[in-house]
Amino acid sequence: MSDSKEKKSLNFGTIWQRYGTIGILLLILIALAIIKPSAIFTSTSIPQILKQSSVNILLALGEFFAILLGYIDLSVSATCGLTGMIAALCMTSLGLPWVLACIIGVLSGTLIGAINGTLINKTGLHPFIITLGTQTIYFGVMLVISNSQNVYGFPSQFSSVMSMEFFGILPFSACIALAAAVILWFVTTKTKLGRNLYALGGNREAAWYSGINVQLHQLIVYMISGTCAGLAGIVLIGRLNAAAPTAGTGYETYAIAATIIGGTSFFGGVGKIPGVVVGGLIIGIINYGMTVLMIESSYQKIVMGALIIISVTIDHFVSVSSKK
Amino acid sequence: MEPLIKMVGITKDFPGVRALDNISFDILPGEVHVLIGENGAGKSTLMKILSGVYTPTSGKIICNGHEYDALTTKTSYDEGIAIVYQELSVINELSILENLFVGKLPTKKVCGIPVVDYKLMNEKAKVVLEQVGIHHDPNTLVGDLAIPEKQLCEIAKALVSGAKVIVLDEPTTSLTTSEVENLHNLIRNLKAQGCGIVYISHKMSELHQIGDRITVLKDGGYVGTYPVEDITIDELVALMVGREISGTYLAEEGYDPETQPVIFEAQGISRADGTCKNISFQLHKGEILGFAGLVGAGRTETMEAIFGAVPKSAGKVFLNGKELNIKSPYTAIKQGLGMLTENRRETGFANNFSCKSNISLIPFIKTSSAGGIGGLLNTADEQRWAEEQRDSLNIKCTSVDQMTVDLSGGNQQKVILGKWMAAQSEVLIFDEPTKGIDVGSKSEIYLLMRRLANEGKGVLMVSSEQTELLSVCDRIAVFRGGELQEILSSAEATEEKIVKISTNE
Repeated sequence: MSDSKEKKSLNFGTIWQRYGTIGILLLILIALAIIKPSAIFTSTSIPQILKQSSVNILLALGEFFAILLGYIDLSVSATCGLTGMIAALCMTSLGLPWVLACIIGVLSGTLIGAINGTLINKTGLHPFIITLGTQTIYFGVMLVISNSQNVYGFPSQFSSVMSMEFFGILPFSACIALAAAVILWFVTTKTKLGRNLYALGGNREAAWYSGINVQLHQLIVYMISGTCAGLAGIVLIGRLNAAAPTAGTGYETYAIAATIIGGTSFFGGVGKIPGVVVGGLIIGIINYGMTVLMIESSYQKIVMGALIIISVTIDHFVSVSSKK
Repeated sequence: MEPLIKMVGITKDFPGVRALDNISFDILPGEVHVLIGENGAGKSTLMKILSGVYTPTSGKIICNGHEYDALTTKTSYDEGIAIVYQELSVINELSILENLFVGKLPTKKVCGIPVVDYKLMNEKAKVVLEQVGIHHDPNTLVGDLAIPEKQLCEIAKALVSGAKVIVLDEPTTSLTTSEVENLHNLIRNLKAQGCGIVYISHKMSELHQIGDRITVLKDGGYVGTYPVEDITIDELVALMVGREISGTYLAEEGYDPETQPVIFEAQGISRADGTCKNISFQLHKGEILGFAGLVGAGRTETMEAIFGAVPKSAGKVFLNGKELNIKSPYTAIKQGLGMLTENRRETGFANNFSCKSNISLIPFIKTSSAGGIGGLLNTADEQRWAEEQRDSLNIKCTSVDQMTVDLSGGNQQKVILGKWMAAQSEVLIFDEPTKGIDVGSKSEIYLLMRRLANEGKGVLMVSSEQTELLSVCDRIAVFRGGELQEILSSAEATEEKIVKISTNE
C-alpha cells in the first residue's frame, strides 16, 4: 500500500491535477519575466495585472457554477455590460447616489440571472440555447438604453473609490473579486447548497431521487452567475471610467476559458473555486503580458485559444490514463 | 479439443489492490462456460482483459495459436471475441441495421468513391436477425425496441462480426421467464455452430439449465472449474462466499401481519399517464410487503408516485395514521420515506462522489432547511455517518473517501442503502434491490431488510425474482396492467400462483 502511494505522488497525473493550474500561471510569469523583466519587476505591474484580471475572475466565478452543473452561461458578457450600463445611467442621467447606483447594477445582474434560470426551467431547453438568445437580447437592450452612446461623467467619489489601491498593490476591484471568491468558496465547500450542486453536476437523476430540487438549484446557479456578472459590470465601468454601449462583447469566452483552465470539468460535477481564480489570473496575465510586449490583440486571441485546447487536452488524457 | 481462447496465469494489479491473482480460464468450441463469483470477485476485470480494455500485469492469452501478453480492443475484435455487457451498448438513435455494422460499415465503390453498401448489409443482417429471432424491419430504430430485443440485437452484432467467442454479462437480469427461454435456445443454437459462450450470471437456478462447465472466482482468486453435472447449487454458493447461506429470511414463526398495527398506507394512488391505477395497500408493523408482476405492470411507477419522483394524479399516503403531503422526493424524504431505485447507476448515486459524500447526501438533505439549500455541512457528522454505515453494512472500500463508482456493484448498492439508513428513513422502498448483485450481498441485503422490519420500519420490496419475494416477504401484492390484482399471504403464495395472476393465464 505505502509503496503504491509513493508511486502515486510521483505520478504526473496527480501532480497535474493538483498543481497544473498554478504551474501554468508560474510558467507564464517566468516566461514574461525572462522576455521583459520590466513587465513584472515594477511597482505598477502587480496592481495592473490584478485590475486586468478582476473582471475575468468575477465572470469566471459565475460561469463556474453553470459549468459545475454541466451547463453553460453564454450571457455573462452581456450581463456584465448591461449591468454596468444600468449603474452608469443611474449615476449620470438619474443622478442617484453612486452607492445606490452600484447596488441597483449588481441586483439587476441577479434579476437577469433569475430570468435566465426561469427560462431554462420553464422551457426545458439546453442553457446553451437560452443564454445564447438572452445574450443577444441583453446586448440589444444595452444599445437601446444607452442610445448607442458612451456614458461617462461619473461622480468623482465613485471614480476615486474604484481607483483605490490598498498597500500599493491591491486595487479595490481585486478586493471585490477576492471577496466574491471567498464567499463562493465557502458556499461550495461548507454549505449544503454547494454539496447539492456537485451532486447535481455528477448525476442529475440521482440528485432528484436524493431529494434535491433540480429547478430551484438551477435558478440559484444562474442568479449567482448573474450577480457575479453584475459585480463585474461595476468593476468594468470603474476601470474604464465610462460605460461603452458594446462593453463586455466576447467576455464569455474568457470566462469559460478561465473556468476550464482552472480545472473545472466541462461535463459537470468537478471543479474548485481557487482553481477558477487562478484561471482568471492566467487570462489576465496573458492579456497584460501581450499588451506590454506590444503584441496585437488578434494574436492574443490565438494564444488564448491554443492554451484552452492544450490545458484541456492534458486534463483529458490525465483522467483517462488514471482510470486505466 | 483445442480451446478457442486460453488465458493463463492472468494477474491484474490496480493501485493498492490486486484485482486478479493468477487466474487461468479457457473456452472450448461449442460450450457454455459459466463464470460466477461475488461482486468484486474479478469477473468483469477478467472479461475486460479479454476484450482488451484492461492490460494484465502478467499472464498470457492464447487465441487461435497466437500468443499475446495483452489484447487491445482491436486484436480482441480480430480474434473473434465479442462481449455483450449488462448495460447494453446499442445506439438508440440508429436503426437495427446500422447498429449491427456500426464502426464496420461495408462499402462499395461508385465511380471510385466508397459509399455504404446497404445491399450487402441487408443481406447479412437478414441471416443473423433470423438466427437470433428479431422479426422487425432492419430499418426500425433500436430505440423503439424492448430491452430483450436490444440484447438480441447486441448478440446479432457479435455474430455479424464473425465472433467465435461471445461473452454474455448477466444476460437475463431484465428478462421474463419466456424471454430467458428464448435466449437459452439461441445460446444452444450458437453452441451447435461451434461458438464458445462465456456466461456470467448471479442467478444460480439457471446455471444448470444452460452451462457446461463452471468456473468460480473469489476475491480475485481462482477457486476451480467444474463440470456442471458434478456440482450442486449449494456447493457453488459455498465456494463463492466461503460460507453456507440459509434459504429463508421470513419473519419468526407465528408472526401474522394482519394482527399488527398499520404503519404505512397508500390509498388510491393513480398517475396521469395511466401506468398505475387506483393502487391501495397497507403495510403492517414488522412486515415486508413484496410487489410482484411483469416488467411494466406498474410496480415501479406506483412507487415513484408514492415517493413523489413523478406526480400522482390522485391518491393519499399515510404514515402511522397521519396523512403525508408529498410533492417531490425532497418532501418525501423530509417526512420519512426513502427509495432505493432500480437503476443504481442512473439514479442511485453521484458518480463524482466518494462513498462518504454519497452516504451523507440524504441525511444532509433531511436536516436541511429552505427546500434543501439551507444549512452548513458538518464534516464530523459526515465522517461518522459514513463509518457507521460502512461498518454496519460491511461495505468493502479502501476508505470512506474512495470513489463510489470504483466499487463493485454489490458494494455500490450498499452505499446507496447507507444513504437511506443514515437518514433514518421510516419507510423504505426497495426497487429491485438485488438486481445484478451477488449471492453473498443479496443475503446481507435480505437480512438487513428483515432487521429493519423487526425494528418497526416499513419495508416495501419490488422484485421480478419470485423466488426472492417468496423467501423474504410476508405478503406479496401482484400487479398486472397498472392495477393491483391481489395481495397474497406468504402461506398462500407460490411461484405458479404469482405467474398466473401476473399474466392472467
